[in-house]
Amino acid sequence: MILKNKKADKIISVYWFAILFIVAAAIAYMVISFYGEPYDIREAEAYALTNKVAGCLSEVGYLKEGVLNEDFRENFMEKCKLNFEVEDVYNWREHGQYYVEINFYDFSTNQSISSIKKDNEALKPDCGLKGKTFPVCLERSFYILDKEKNQYQINILSIVRKTEKNVQ
Amino acid sequence: MINKKGNILTENIIFIILNLVFLSILIIFLFSKMGAAAVLEEKYAKQIALILDSAEPVMIISINMEDAIKIANKENRDLNNIISIQDNVVKVQLREKGGYSYSFFNDIDPSIYLNRSSIKEYIIFIDYN
Repeated sequence: MILKNKKADKIISVYWFAILFIVAAAIAYMVISFYGEPYDIREAEAYALTNKVAGCLSEVGYLKEGVLNEDFRENFMEKCKLNFEVEDVYNWREHGQYYVEINFYDFSTNQSISSIKKDNEALKPDCGLKGKTFPVCLERSFYILDKEKNQYQINILSIVRKTEKNVQ
Repeated sequence: MINKKGNILTENIIFIILNLVFLSILIIFLFSKMGAAAVLEEKYAKQIALILDSAEPVMIISINMEDAIKIANKENRDLNNIISIQDNVVKVQLREKGGYSYSFFNDIDPSIYLNRSSIKEYIIFIDYN
């Protein structure tokens, strides 16, 4: 009887070790896949970019003077203190990794007044496609008055690619 | 009878020791992956890039990097050189071979230096440009 029990114990301990190894392999796989995957911060970047642009267009709650002028459109990057230069990897410098599009509408007629487009417009068609490898797009709109109480709607589209450093 | 009891006890002890060894290896593996230099380099490069994206001139930002500093010390790295900002790219390098860089879009003029009073945090100062 004791002998039988002993045999059974040995079988259980082998079985126990097999389970342990399976559990360890599963944990190791999960840890490697979790820590091997890069942190995806593109959505946070797109939010920061949108906030930066919105902050640049308004001043104490009103539309900043001169925003609709040609000069502002042409010197948008300098006026809003933006620099879309990226590190020289994965051919990133040849193909821009950002895109910003701002559309100004007359709030009452909904007619387009002006628009600003900067950096790599080729990223825009990828918006709306599902999948991690596509760029992250963020579209926000807000209502604003100018000092003469004219009403505007501003739509900001921010796109961040940088796929290779954020997705595996 | 005494011998049989002795055998059972030895087997149980070996079984428990093996389990403990096994679990210890697993825990060491987990912690080594969590605190790996490459992971921390990426984490801090991206964190600093995001901070700089939202930063405004004359801001002073303090960032706790105690875990990264421990690794840099083990690797005999000069603590003044583990973070560098050139043009608009942040680079964090905790080892001689390695490092991780990430760009930010905010056109500002930041400078970064080790806080001498705490030796576990870095100070980022955004100059007026």
